Amino acid sequence: MFLLLMLAAYAAGAVTALALPPARGRRPAAACLALGALAGAVAGARVVITGQPVGWELPSSLPGLALLLELDPLGGFFLCLIGLVVLPAAIYAPDYLASPAAPDAAGGAHAADGGRVAGALTALFILSMSLVVAAGNVFTFLLCWEGMAVCSLLLVVGDGATEERRGAGRWYAGMAHAGFLLIAACLLLLAARTSGGAFADIRGASYGLGTGARNAMFLMALFGFGSKAGLVPLQGWLPRAHPAAPSHVSALMSGAMLKLGLYGFLRVVFDLLGGGPPWWGGLALALGIISALYGVLYALLERDLKRLLAYSSIENLGLIFMGAGLGLVFHGAGRGDLAALALLASLFHAFNHAAFKGLLFMGAGSVVRATGTRDLEAMGGLIKRMPWTAACTLVGAMAIAALPPLNGFASEWLLFQSLMAGVGVAGPLFAVAMAMSVGALALTGGLAAACFVKAFGITFLALPRGRAAAEAAESPRLMRLAMLIPAAACVLLGILAPSFGRFTAAALAAVPWLDPSSASFRLDAGFEVRDGFGRIAPAVLALLLLGSAAAAWGAVRLLASRRRRVGETWGCGRIGQTSRMEYTAAAFAEPLLRVFGDLLRPTRDLTIEFHPESKYFVRSIGYRTRVRAWLEEDLAGAIRRLLRPLGGSGRLIQSGSVHLYIAYVFAALLAFLLLARWM
Amino acid sequence: MSVEIFTTVMTLASSLVLLAGIAILWRRSLPAYIHAFARQSFFIVVAVLVLAARERDRELVLVALLMFALKVVFMPAALRRVQRHVGADADVRPYVNTPVSLAIAGILTLVAYAVAQPVVALSHLPTRGGMPLALASVFVGLFIVASRRSALSQIVGFLVMENGIALLAVLATYGVPLIVELGVFLDVLLGFLVMQVFVYRIRDAFETTDVDRLRSLRH
Repeated sequence: MFLLLMLAAYAAGAVTALALPPARGRRPAAACLALGALAGAVAGARVVITGQPVGWELPSSLPGLALLLELDPLGGFFLCLIGLVVLPAAIYAPDYLASPAAPDAAGGAHAADGGRVAGALTALFILSMSLVVAAGNVFTFLLCWEGMAVCSLLLVVGDGATEERRGAGRWYAGMAHAGFLLIAACLLLLAARTSGGAFADIRGASYGLGTGARNAMFLMALFGFGSKAGLVPLQGWLPRAHPAAPSHVSALMSGAMLKLGLYGFLRVVFDLLGGGPPWWGGLALALGIISALYGVLYALLERDLKRLLAYSSIENLGLIFMGAGLGLVFHGAGRGDLAALALLASLFHAFNHAAFKGLLFMGAGSVVRATGTRDLEAMGGLIKRMPWTAACTLVGAMAIAALPPLNGFASEWLLFQSLMAGVGVAGPLFAVAMAMSVGALALTGGLAAACFVKAFGITFLALPRGRAAAEAAESPRLMRLAMLIPAAACVLLGILAPSFGRFTAAALAAVPWLDPSSASFRLDAGFEVRDGFGRIAPAVLALLLLGSAAAAWGAVRLLASRRRRVGETWGCGRIGQTSRMEYTAAAFAEPLLRVFGDLLRPTRDLTIEFHPESKYFVRSIGYRTRVRAWLEEDLAGAIRRLLRPLGGSGRLIQSGSVHLYIAYVFAALLAFLLLARWM
Repeated sequence: MSVEIFTTVMTLASSLVLLAGIAILWRRSLPAYIHAFARQSFFIVVAVLVLAARERDRELVLVALLMFALKVVFMPAALRRVQRHVGADADVRPYVNTPVSLAIAGILTLVAYAVAQPVVALSHLPTRGGMPLALASVFVGLFIVASRRSALSQIVGFLVMENGIALLAVLATYGVPLIVELGVFLDVLLGFLVMQVFVYRIRDAFETTDVDRLRSLRH
């Protein structure tokens, strides 16, 4: 029932956005979307809690083309996740789009049609995302998957007015369609053994597949869904598409759509294929680690606020796939209980990332709306002008840096525990790999914390570095409300982590060979992992932290002198303090740039201009450093070189003559008829 | 009516349908094309009526009447109106000249016989002899679309192809249910109207209905 309400609300949102004039239609459309998000979340949560799948079928006279919806606990979990991102994004959108200052709002008020089409596309995008997780057969899944890709692509490109948007569109289109080809091939191969391609039939038939076929399907699923999730080496579109899209769309894409890569991976590899040999998991784990490190390193160096968040998404999806890969490894080693723990960590982190990355993108959107730039070096001091945005972003930044008692801490702790529990599972090679993974995860966590200290500090603290930042104004009330929702979710998910962990474990019941009830962990007031190294109670932790903060505040009140001085922060006794004396984003990242210099291959330019009279007097020093994302660019270059001759020869048969095309159709028809006759 | 006479009449009608299609290949003017199409449609109407009389099927009579109204009266009239509007500028120079066109039509008929053989072997209907002819007229229609320059003659080619399909349906199944037939009519009518609009648009943009000019859209 709620599922139907969700579909109706999203469809109504699309129609409203298209039918009403944009200035009056944005709010009703947003209300429809918010209602749909709530209904979807309720529908998903009900399925997870009761464990009873819901769905229905729209039969078709053509074989395999029936629309079949079937929401099982795993899909229900992801429907909740989508609802968590869509609800604030819908509330956020109207005021954000109405502002003429938002330079990245391609669908905003200054678009040719006032953003009508963009509004409808956003609703369709959300609708197709929600249907992907509810799809019950191959055809429905592929249809919605492609709908999701196309809608988001159009939203990224927008009016295509700038080269940035067009370039982002090319990257995204290429990656999305390469991924779609792999996914379609994989799913159609699976469906070939059944009559209608329903997931329920595939589940039973997939055990009869040969080893080679299963391996090929796994690789297609890993790279196909990995291209959506932004796994290295398929991550190139993320840092281009996320900044180009309007911020609420970035929040939707990064918060919700990337997770559907995980959903598809879990659905195909865990559910339909039923797991496989340990090397499957090992490969996914390795790609996850590489993505996490790659993402966080480039995020650290980035000076474009939204690109930074996009790179951080690569990092987090890496962490999420580490959990999924680990689950496969444990399953291959015959430890279904530990596999459940690793998957729990993965799903939990996916949910958390939806909360804080949605929040951070909306916070970035507010900042961009207020200052008109995405360049960190032009911001600063915004905490005084935009206290609400700053507070919400701070919560998001702390959560993504995995500080207790926020939600990022809970899921990363689970991931650590599952890695450490894995040390003793199999042989020495396994133990070494696990230990190295723990190290990589710790490094990632540390770098992520540094990265968000930089992102928050440079944006909100110190003195404004430009006029726009100095004159920024706080966002309207609805946008602030929208940011408060995921901020509250970050806090609640952290404090109530064990309860949410139970909810997540219920979602795993969809995968038959995972048995969360017999698993090696306990979730009551706290987390406890039997083979791991610990037990925590997040609520107690939160109370302790709160208590110590209160104690510190009280101590300061009691002991410090009452006299109050007003001065500049870190004034150091200087007479005048200007923003040029501040730490910059580049300066903050400089030490790490040196440490990882071999990996990042930066180019540095130092120009010193001396006084013509004496070279002991320096007129100016220019320092410029540039980090090229060489992995992305070189890979793309190699592919381009490979494809260009192919495309050139493709032009041979494309003469532009309609007659020739009709003749092709004719020839194909005749050839097939003759083939059917003599085959 | 005995089975032999019925078979002969149906095969004759099918042959005439094909012949009317091929006639387009040797004529060189749009009015002649339209005329040939109208005649072809008329032969199909006759075939349907004969079948209706033999089967004592009222629905088939209705189908025949509808077909007459749509394909013998309305569409040729509409085509003539469009042709008067855009002028008879094109289609005197097809891509393939007349003798080669006729030779190709002959080959296509042979192919149709070859391809239709398994279907014919499966059928027990007395009308099965006409099925390859109907298929051949589908092919001829497609060939007209591929080889003529003017958008209008391409429409005629499309309609010829559609006629072939309609005839095939009649011969192979003794007429599909009325509701399906109505759906097909609606499809053809809509397709026709859309193409008519496109002819005007092409004409406005390029000042000719020569489809080959669309090549300049490529870059």
